[in-house]
Amino acid sequence: MPLLDIQNLKTYFNTRGGKVKAVDDVSFQIERGDALGLAGESGCGKTTTALTIMNLLPSNAEVLSGKVFLNDVDLLAIDEEMFRKEVRMKQMSMVFQGAMNALNPVFRVGDQIRQGILTHEDITKEAAWERVRELFSLVGISPDRAREYPHEFSGGMKQRVIIAMALSCNPDLVIADEPVTALDVIIQAQILELMRDLREKLGLSMIMITHDLSVIADTCNKTAIMYAGKLVEYASSIAIFKSPKHPYTQGLIANFPSISGELKGFEPISGSPPNLISPPNGCRFHPRCSYAMGVCSKEEPETVELERGHFVSCHLMK
Amino acid sequence: MQKSKTQGYVRSIRKFGEQYKESKLGLLGLFIFLFFVFASVFAEVLAPYPIGPTQGDRNFILKPPSSKYLLGTDELGRDMLSMILYGGKVSLTIGILATLITAIIGTLVGVTAGYFGGRTEEILMRFTDVFLVIPGLPLMIVLASLLGATFWNMILVIGIQGWTGTARVLRAQVLSLKEKLFIESARSIGASDTRIIIKHIIPNVLPLIVAQMVLRIGSSILSASSLSFLGLGDPTHMSWGMTLHYAFSVGSLFSNFYWYLIPPGVCITLVVLSFTFIGYALDQIVNPRIRER
Amino acid sequence: MAIILGMGRVIAKRGVYAIMLIFIMTIINFFLFRIMPGDPVAMMVSPSITAEVRQILLTKFGLDKPMHIQFIKYIQQLLKGNFGLSFVYQRPVIDLVLERVPNTVLLLLSSYVITVILSIILGLIAAWRRGGKLDISFTIFGLWMHSMPIFWLGGLLLLFFSVRLGLFPVIGVSTPWLVHENIFSYISDVAHHLFIPMMTLGIGNIGGMFLITRNSLLDIFSEDYILTAKALGLSNRTILFHNVLRNAMLPLSTIILMRLGFIIGGAVTTETVFTWPGVGLLIYNAVMQEDYPLLQGAFLIITISAVLANFLAEVIYGYLDPRVRYE
Repeated sequence: MPLLDIQNLKTYFNTRGGKVKAVDDVSFQIERGDALGLAGESGCGKTTTALTIMNLLPSNAEVLSGKVFLNDVDLLAIDEEMFRKEVRMKQMSMVFQGAMNALNPVFRVGDQIRQGILTHEDITKEAAWERVRELFSLVGISPDRAREYPHEFSGGMKQRVIIAMALSCNPDLVIADEPVTALDVIIQAQILELMRDLREKLGLSMIMITHDLSVIADTCNKTAIMYAGKLVEYASSIAIFKSPKHPYTQGLIANFPSISGELKGFEPISGSPPNLISPPNGCRFHPRCSYAMGVCSKEEPETVELERGHFVSCHLMK
Repeated sequence: MQKSKTQGYVRSIRKFGEQYKESKLGLLGLFIFLFFVFASVFAEVLAPYPIGPTQGDRNFILKPPSSKYLLGTDELGRDMLSMILYGGKVSLTIGILATLITAIIGTLVGVTAGYFGGRTEEILMRFTDVFLVIPGLPLMIVLASLLGATFWNMILVIGIQGWTGTARVLRAQVLSLKEKLFIESARSIGASDTRIIIKHIIPNVLPLIVAQMVLRIGSSILSASSLSFLGLGDPTHMSWGMTLHYAFSVGSLFSNFYWYLIPPGVCITLVVLSFTFIGYALDQIVNPRIRER
Repeated sequence: MAIILGMGRVIAKRGVYAIMLIFIMTIINFFLFRIMPGDPVAMMVSPSITAEVRQILLTKFGLDKPMHIQFIKYIQQLLKGNFGLSFVYQRPVIDLVLERVPNTVLLLLSSYVITVILSIILGLIAAWRRGGKLDISFTIFGLWMHSMPIFWLGGLLLLFFSVRLGLFPVIGVSTPWLVHENIFSYISDVAHHLFIPMMTLGIGNIGGMFLITRNSLLDIFSEDYILTAKALGLSNRTILFHNVLRNAMLPLSTIILMRLGFIIGGAVTTETVFTWPGVGLLIYNAVMQEDYPLLQGAFLIITISAVLANFLAEVIYGYLDPRVRYE
């Protein structure tokens, strides 16, 4: 039984210009212990998917349909209080871009984490503070620093704080949204290594959202590629990188430099991402696809399981 | 070349109109405003009775509303409804003219300070600070009583104290415009400062000036009504504030002459409200910070 | 230690600036009353005097001397605490003003407290339920209060509650003929008189402050750390009253301190409506009775007070916002 089972999720945004079909019928699963990399260009719907799962969507968003099963409970069906008390932090938590404004500048970092712990667990304030100190050690920060304010930390250290915060109530699933994008390369490597270690140590399952394929290659055993609100390919990371099947994925991987491979130039995918208010008919990628056939502009492709665990959504697969 | 510029203007005006139409408050404000403008412009035609000090009906002093005098009469027997209609003309005129003065001073100070910077900016901003600290109404009271309470003096007095907000906002806007490269390039090809200001800066700050002006008209009318209420208005130009002054002075509060008290206040509130709504709608369109949210 | 040093810097810098402003105000005040059209002697004494008396007074008051000498004498008098002599009351201006300051301060401060509390509560609710029915109705209410003449609102409230319903007294700050056995009966008498004027100014001044408060709060709501708070599973109430309020303290304090100056104007008209014996009513009487020395002195005192209030506000702000201390 999968840890997370998303079925036919549709999230639209009501804007002045019309309805933005940000997530349009997306389905996938995660098993316990998986680390799934959710990749795609800006605006492809990966963050919206995460926000939908986490029930953190802005007020103009609407979840039209779909089910999100976490530990066999449909998150979209339970009420807010239940979600807040039982699901948040205890089953599922989120790692934001710490280098930005995710930490409240007027509170000490330890207090912010402790607030989350005390909301979900019936322990004393002192015990919670002890746990905060332990968490800091776990993520590689000196425990005494829990008394400091966010502006006293560097970008990488803030990211560790955010990670500590996400782990504070022992969740089953951690969703990380571009956790290392704003950091420089050396710090990136450190944080990614930390996340790998924690995953092993604590048996965490993870969704890593990023547009940077190298991050996925480093930390995730499975990869899902999204394009224009649709899931176009889902497979083990090795399969994605070694034998991508969807033309879009192939385009992405082709531009992924390889140290041992031959020298070659960039071949960017022509065109630009579509308008999500009125996306192209049929397969959303067809205007940019070099293999497009007649049917591609008329019908949306079905999802086909090519080999065990390798799903592709493309007319070429038939 | 010229033709496409005009087309560009027409297009942006049309776009502005569409955006404005979306604001319910803006439309309501516009409607109320137009209603009062109409009533004021056609006051002579619409008013049932004349309002000269000697033209009152001696038999109908301080009477409540009746079929003859729809809104009752004042202490000189004059018809309240007519007083209101004529008063609108005075109040609106004072508000608009005073705001013109405010806009001119504010623009001059703000744009000059923002554009030239350095010493000039410092001196102008200090000058602005002085005016900012002096409480507005007491200053107007002092000036009005020293200069004498006439129609034109009131316009002057109101106009020369409200410009500080506009000056500051415009200076900020000009400062951010200066960052944009087209000013640099205009300078580098040798355009004179005056030319740059007139051709580049003013057109870009014009929407902001208009939005500011709309808001200031409302507060100018309020200031005028306060001054008139305190007795510093011009008796020969009966504004709504003056009417309220006389309403209070004949003891309407204690004798319950509600028809004397309520209509002028309602009119002032509605007119200022209309400008506030219009200003609010304009601000939503012109102010980029609000748009992002 | 750093705080004391920093504060010292703020006080010195702002203090010097305040003194400069006061000096400029004095100059303006002096020349304002001299340059205006009209006879300076008549202004100082009475508009209607004979020619011989005028000449005597001219010499006596030193008005025939050159302008700069007059100015120096003026400053000298000011430094001695002499702000002029009221013609109508035949008493020093400074005494008249000081007598009435407590009444005005009582009215202004009590009403401002109401304005601030209401604005924050309404602003919080409106911003939290942005676009909702409450937000729209509060915003319209705020815009309406912003547009209504405060003295008219006062008049209406007075008419309804005091005249028609007889619930509150109509004039003044206390009942003149009442003998009070103890301090409590005096306080309750004053409070009884204070209520309507206080509510008038309190509610009337909401408009601007509510709108600015709402905007500041909207800014905070859109910050990333509020999303983090939600992800942490904190309840809405906790987020609003614990997190957001803490973040809002700095911008709100700024708003509260800086807007203090705007309410002074409303005091003049409100005191007139309610015959509240404060500085505002004094100015009104001075204008009506053409008592120019009183007007000039009172105006100068008011502007100096405004500069001092501003100075105080900036010092307090310097304490609240550490960044200011390092400028």
